[in-house]
Amino acid sequence: MTLRDKAWSPYAARILIGLLQIPAFLLIETALGTSSSYVTIAAHIAAFADTSVGKMDYFAKHMYGAKNLWQVAMVIGIVVGAFASMKMSGARRQTISPVWNRAVGFRSLSSRAPMAFAGGFIMVLGARIADGCTTGHGISGVAQLALGSTVAVTAMFAGAIATALLMKRV
Amino acid sequence: MNILFAVILGLAMGAVFGIALEKSRVFEPGTIVSQMQLRTFLMLKVFLTAVVTGLVVLAVLNGAWGVKMFPKALVWQADIVGGMLLGVGISIAGACPGTVFAQIGAGYRDAWFTVTGGILGAMTFGYLEPALRPIMLSGGPGKLTLDQVAHIPFWAFALAVAAALAGVLAVVERFKPWREEAGPDFDGLAALASRPERSTPASLSSASA
Repeated sequence: MTLRDKAWSPYAARILIGLLQIPAFLLIETALGTSSSYVTIAAHIAAFADTSVGKMDYFAKHMYGAKNLWQVAMVIGIVVGAFASMKMSGARRQTISPVWNRAVGFRSLSSRAPMAFAGGFIMVLGARIADGCTTGHGISGVAQLALGSTVAVTAMFAGAIATALLMKRV
Repeated sequence: MNILFAVILGLAMGAVFGIALEKSRVFEPGTIVSQMQLRTFLMLKVFLTAVVTGLVVLAVLNGAWGVKMFPKALVWQADIVGGMLLGVGISIAGACPGTVFAQIGAGYRDAWFTVTGGILGAMTFGYLEPALRPIMLSGGPGKLTLDQVAHIPFWAFALAVAAALAGVLAVVERFKPWREEAGPDFDGLAALASRPERSTPASLSSASA
């Protein structure tokens, strides 16, 4: 199991992610999560055009402070870490995954881009309504035995399975 | 909390997170879609392994040192409606809000559109939040956890759930070994008997589209 491998056992890889809860709980005093970073970024972008954003509670509480900037730094770190890992193993990815040709017949970035955009929009809108995503509710919430997270994760799998079954078999 | 320290810590934790996501292949759209079509179980394995590790870590941190927990509140409408939308989005995007950043790092260009859509989704939610709060984001029993409902200490319940999930993982792995599920090109797609020739990479066809 070295950085040059194209794949690690999913167990090894994810034990590493589970262990990231230690610095999150002890140093940042929060559970691991990624979807509120979208709100932080969105709030700063919206603030360019709309000066009232800073007065809106939901945006305002996500704009500044260590916890918010920590999470934005973490998602940037994910890009860097995945890039470095890909460089070392040589598993560079093509423009879009071949799964989109199999599932919906899309072979080009221009046909796939609107679908990716719509997927991202629905995904983060849903995550913010549920107050968490696969990381925040799924990994952190279920690990804390939170009832709300268990409900949200069950609904998430239901929605995802129903949608994927509408696509062609991959 | 010193902001500079938080940012440096975030970058470092993100780098570890990104390496682990890339090596586990769970960031692959092929892994997500084939999991949701119940054809492979790599995503479930990766997900449950992280849950089991988290359970054990928190059982120790909370049980031995009383480290504070941060469970989210149970709000039925928000958890069900939001969770389902999240799931629909995950299958269409072929990503989760966190793994899409690993897709960018690994070279998938459509991931930039997913992130842009996600930022717009967050912005839309920020503007709708005051209107949604009274009808679906509030109420409910609050920060309820299973150990409270069952009146069992967190550490004991957490370790029991961790053991049960580890058992599930062992059974799934026996029938679906992860090396086969990652696929010949590590993209989460099994080789097809009639697999289309890969001599036309997506990068070429996108130039002509």
